[in-house]
Amino acid sequence: MTPVSRRRSTLQILLLSAGFFVLVAISVASVLLVNKAREDNALVVHTVEVESQVASLLVDIRRAESATRAYLLTSAPQYLSEYQSAAAGLPAALGHLQMMTVDNPTQVANAAKLKAAVEQRLAEFVLSIERAKNNDTVTSIDILRKGNSTDALEAIARIGRDMRAEEDRLLALRTATADRTQVLASSVTIAGSCMVLALAAVSLVLLRQSSRARDEAEARLRDSNVNLETIVDERTADLREANEEIQRFTYIVSHDLRSPLVNIMGFTSELEELRGDIFKRIATLNRSASLAPAMPQDATDVAEPELEGSDKQLSDDFTESLGFIKSSIAKMDRLISAILNLTREGRREFKPERIDLRELIDGIVETVAHQAVEANATIEVGALPNIVSDRLALEQIFSNLIDNALKYLKDGVPGEIAIEGRTKLGFAIFEVTDNGRGIDPKDHQRIFDLFRRAGTQDKPGQGIGLAHVRALVRRLGGTMSVASELHNGSTFTITLPIKWSGKNLGKNRDKAS
Amino acid sequence: MSDPVTIIMIEDDEGHARLIERNIRRSGVNNEIIPFTNGTEAVNYLFGKDGSAVERKGQPLLILLDLNLPDMTGIDILKRVKENKHLKSTPVVVLTTTDDSQEIKRCYELGCNVYITKPVNYESFANAIRQLGLFFSVIQVPPASV
Repeated sequence: MTPVSRRRSTLQILLLSAGFFVLVAISVASVLLVNKAREDNALVVHTVEVESQVASLLVDIRRAESATRAYLLTSAPQYLSEYQSAAAGLPAALGHLQMMTVDNPTQVANAAKLKAAVEQRLAEFVLSIERAKNNDTVTSIDILRKGNSTDALEAIARIGRDMRAEEDRLLALRTATADRTQVLASSVTIAGSCMVLALAAVSLVLLRQSSRARDEAEARLRDSNVNLETIVDERTADLREANEEIQRFTYIVSHDLRSPLVNIMGFTSELEELRGDIFKRIATLNRSASLAPAMPQDATDVAEPELEGSDKQLSDDFTESLGFIKSSIAKMDRLISAILNLTREGRREFKPERIDLRELIDGIVETVAHQAVEANATIEVGALPNIVSDRLALEQIFSNLIDNALKYLKDGVPGEIAIEGRTKLGFAIFEVTDNGRGIDPKDHQRIFDLFRRAGTQDKPGQGIGLAHVRALVRRLGGTMSVASELHNGSTFTITLPIKWSGKNLGKNRDKAS
Repeated sequence: MSDPVTIIMIEDDEGHARLIERNIRRSGVNNEIIPFTNGTEAVNYLFGKDGSAVERKGQPLLILLDLNLPDMTGIDILKRVKENKHLKSTPVVVLTTTDDSQEIKRCYELGCNVYITKPVNYESFANAIRQLGLFFSVIQVPPASV
């Protein structure tokens, strides 16, 4: 993950949580505000109720008053009962009003004053009615005329006005509060919605950005994959070309080295013949000079003439020199041939096919049976897995290893050679074990090098076999190793793919020399 | 069959040419040997200026051919010889340093009559050449001079 994408995803998570938080905040605020609005509304309603209560109280007082006056004038009992009904409801209404206004100290005071005024007025009514009952209407009318009663009445009216004014003030206040609360609630909702929308928009933009970034990254990945494949192909082609170049070079060099060698060998042989002729001539001359000149010329053709003293020494030196030259040439020829064979092997196309290993090894063992008897050795072939590989290469690998095992046995000890195989993880592992003379661990690498050998050099060989075997194993996509100690036998382990597809084959190689 | 066979030796290595000639002579073959050290000259001689080889028509020839020539491969010469109507019956002996089985096969496929590897072992080489000499004596009319 790149820092940019990590930052982007962190931002996204932050945005999401911010959005969630805003939603929660809006919900809480809405609930609170709705509750507040309900309370405000209740208060408004309460104020209206108080107002109407005050109004109805005043109306009742008016009614009581008018009933009292009517009774005073007419003494009709119907007015008396009307007064009674109006007066009866007054204390209760007053109590109700007091209860309703208990939250407001101003109104409590007002209500108390009102109550006092109303009681005074009621007392006046009672007095008037009593007087009326005792037919003292005149006094009452007097009292009325004097206007004593107006004090209480005015007080009641004033207090009622005050209370109404107070409630009006409260009503205005509470209505304003309720309005504010509602405005607040709607603005909170609108602001929150806007914020959520903004957050959604931002996260949408981020999402699009990140998806674009992902698309770009994918495209880049694809490109780089394609590039990588191209590069690998190019490198492989280069390597293959280089390999083929080396093969061709080796082939040509060894081929061309052979031409002068033919000359050297040819003319050395010519010299050898000349040597014969020259020394024959010398011997003849010597003999003819010292002994009998009458000796027949053709006698030299029959027998090699005897050379004496320094002449013989000369002849021997000549022969020795020629011998060294010839053996060196022979050796050089063998080396060149070996390189030629190796490059030829390298140029050969391998054909993967299913191979019955048991049959293949048995075939090899059969061909070396005679050598095994001579070396007093037994060859044991164990269980062998069958694999898909190149038949000729496998034959060369195993016959080289078995040959080596037979070749380097310990003198005087009966040889025991075992060939075994097993499979592991798609690879077949073969082991060729002997109880022979073994290989010093310091020579384990060296024995796989071309023209290098190890141990006592008492057997003929060019030091090619194992180099060749390892080259073959590598070409078959495998590996090989040796485990050995001096005088304690050796185990050569070869690991080959069970199903070799011939993938590491070169392209068609040219066959011209 | 009255003309003696002429041996055309196409061999760039003078040493090889000399060794071959000596051994042929030793085996008692005295036919004329015309040596060429490169392919171009040999081709000019064999096929003439117009490349039709009409000049060589009916001439008894034997070609000793080295495959590694400085200017062309012996395979090309072999191919041209065997494709030419006047030369195709001419025996061709391929002499080369390699014993590559692919190469040998190809030469035989192209119609070479004998394939001889130049062995470094001089005896076998001399033997091969002398065998070749016997081969010549079979196909040739004994020269009048002997």
